[in-house]
Amino acid sequence: MEEGLKIELGKQGVFVTTIEELYNWGRKNSVWPMQFGLACCAIEMIATTMARYDLARFGAEVFRPSPRQADLMIISGTVTKKMAPQVVRLYNQMAEPRYVIAMGACAISGGPFKQGYNVLKGIDRYIPVDVHIPGCPPRPEALLQAFMTLQKKIEEQPLTGEGRPRHLDAEAQGEFPVPVQGEHDLEPTSNKLVWPLPVVIR
Amino acid sequence: MLGEGILKGLAETARNAVGSFVSKDRLTTVEYPEERLPLPEASRNFPFLVYDGTDWEKGLRCVACQICEKECPPKCIYIDKSKDKKPDAFGRPQIYPAKFDIDISVCMSCQICVEVCPFEAIKMDTQYELSTDDRFGGLLLDRKELAKSNEYYHQIHPTEASEVDAKLAAEKVKADAKAKAAAGAAAAKAAAAAAAPKPAEAAAKPVVLADAPAAKPQGEGD
Repeated sequence: MEEGLKIELGKQGVFVTTIEELYNWGRKNSVWPMQFGLACCAIEMIATTMARYDLARFGAEVFRPSPRQADLMIISGTVTKKMAPQVVRLYNQMAEPRYVIAMGACAISGGPFKQGYNVLKGIDRYIPVDVHIPGCPPRPEALLQAFMTLQKKIEEQPLTGEGRPRHLDAEAQGEFPVPVQGEHDLEPTSNKLVWPLPVVIR
Repeated sequence: MLGEGILKGLAETARNAVGSFVSKDRLTTVEYPEERLPLPEASRNFPFLVYDGTDWEKGLRCVACQICEKECPPKCIYIDKSKDKKPDAFGRPQIYPAKFDIDISVCMSCQICVEVCPFEAIKMDTQYELSTDDRFGGLLLDRKELAKSNEYYHQIHPTEASEVDAKLAAEKVKADAKAKAAAGAAAAKAAAAAAAPKPAEAAAKPVVLADAPAAKPQGEGD
């Protein structure tokens, strides 16, 4: 249906929608994050939920203390190699549909600890990340903007065919292998299914 | 009295909750996408490259000396020196960065690149709305995305930008005087000895790090 006609009908008091739109509208406005912070970015995440920035305006007011009840995991801070298996385990315990926001330089790439031995160089080596927020740490507004980016992504997702959400795809990977502490590093060092070797064109 | 503090706290909360319906001051929420808090002048997020004039490619102040690349603690800057020289904003031939990439997924906003830059070419931006779902393309800024005009710099950090402009102007006056003196001396020498004078601009050129080894690209080292 045309966008213009829909707006015109709306003005006349007729509300037209599709199942897909209604479904995605519901999904995008009730994304409950998990109460889970790893480092200094968590302080900004807490600030985002407070009265000044108020994440509740986007339908994400309840930070659930249990992964079973959460939809969104905000990886806010440095993921050390000691913590990485727990992060993946928590992600596995979340029910579909689930989303991940990697907040801050450390969560995306290891940031200032990239050259170190003890920090994971980006959580997207083990779990699929939907939105990345660069910054050290990002402002609360940046988290809100990332949240809006995620909502937009959910809104545009088709319910059938290619690119449908994982909970509607019977073949999709549900559980992600939890890395274990090896002799020198985590084993495996990355999940090849979510982290194909990147090709950077310079 | 036991619980006095809790009651006090609850009273304060209740006063704010009721007050927010009456007074605008007590309503603290900034409705972000529609309204924004003004950023403090010293706020910073990621670096950008300053250019003078209107053409970003011609006016870049950066001369690819690679000091920032070496000083960057998390090594998020990648620079390729150009093989040829191009006239900069003041018309002096300079080496320019053929490639200047900043990986903002690694950058920790420490401002060390700004502090070490002798050419006032790299400054801190205040732009924070950069979240993306594109891990590699969206978070690696090339020199075109990094180039921002001097006017923009004046907009975001007015005091600092004026200071920088004054400093650059003073430097230019000094360099011009030196070049003039050198030219005068060369002319006098040429008149005296009738030998071929050396190009005078050489004295006016700022010092560029010579023979800097080409840095290896920063990979996703495990």
